Amino acid sequence: MRLALTLYLALLGGAAWAGDINSQRAQFNYQMSCQGCHAPDGSGAGEVPRMREHVGIFLATEAGREYLVRVPGSAVSALGDAELAEVLNWIVREFAGASITLHFEPYTPQEVGQLRQYPLNEVVQYRAQLLADIASANLRE
Amino acid sequence: MKLLDKLFEQQTRHLAQRSSRRGMLKAIGGLLVGAGTIPLLPVARAAAADAPGRPTEKGDPASCDYWRYCAIDGFLCSCCGGSENTCPPGTEMSPVTWIGTCRNPADGRNYVISYNDCCGKSSCGACLCQRDEGDRPLYRPDKTNDINWCLGTTSLAYHCSTAIVVGVAFEAE
Repeated sequence: MRLALTLYLALLGGAAWAGDINSQRAQFNYQMSCQGCHAPDGSGAGEVPRMREHVGIFLATEAGREYLVRVPGSAVSALGDAELAEVLNWIVREFAGASITLHFEPYTPQEVGQLRQYPLNEVVQYRAQLLADIASANLRE
Repeated sequence: MKLLDKLFEQQTRHLAQRSSRRGMLKAIGGLLVGAGTIPLLPVARAAAADAPGRPTEKGDPASCDYWRYCAIDGFLCSCCGGSENTCPPGTEMSPVTWIGTCRNPADGRNYVISYNDCCGKSSCGACLCQRDEGDRPLYRPDKTNDINWCLGTTSLAYHCSTAIVVGVAFEAE
């Protein structure tokens, strides 16, 4: 009976989207570390980039996926690796909408921990180049 | 059968003599208004205030020791023609904001507070309040309240600060 229950719970856990997001914790961490600039609904403000209906574009390439971790707001945030992975997965789930075109493999704490060792410096130029690369890759398809 | 007829006739006459059509309207009207008033009673409102994001509160929003101001650094909009939630007329609320948490003494829970600045006029100058809980040095720019948060607005001029409840803090069990 206990084994059956454990198996059932494991199945439930596996079915949960994007590597077990605790929505309350993720939203709180988003509020404390991201929302001040990116706005409650991820729409950004002024020069702060919009994530709503946009963030999924970066997930089209490996460099783009890495960018979302290496961007300073992520990489040097006060969040631990597991919390950062969770909040990134939450952002993709809540905000990406139709901007995500491929299957999204959730970020893991290990992946995030490794990538954030290399924070970006010239973010604005890097981002512009990245989006241009993704756009031209889409054109070739 | 006659007995039954007589009984009903008596009852009907009795009712007709003792009641009026206006009395009937009055009773129905009373019921309608009464039913409508019940949700306005304090009991119902106290229960509704338990919903997240709308905490039960006490204290004076025009006073620096008001619970939401635990991390504030600036002039209180409540003293400048606005409120703890709104900007004074003629100013614009910054969409970019400093965020902290404060404990609400009314229910003992921690809430996420967004200190949106109101911008577009020179400093209000009234009710300067600097409590700074959770404030970090400038090398953590997202966690410092010492910078001008009038970003994303048409004017960089700082006027006063609001303290808006945007959520309930997550607490690990």
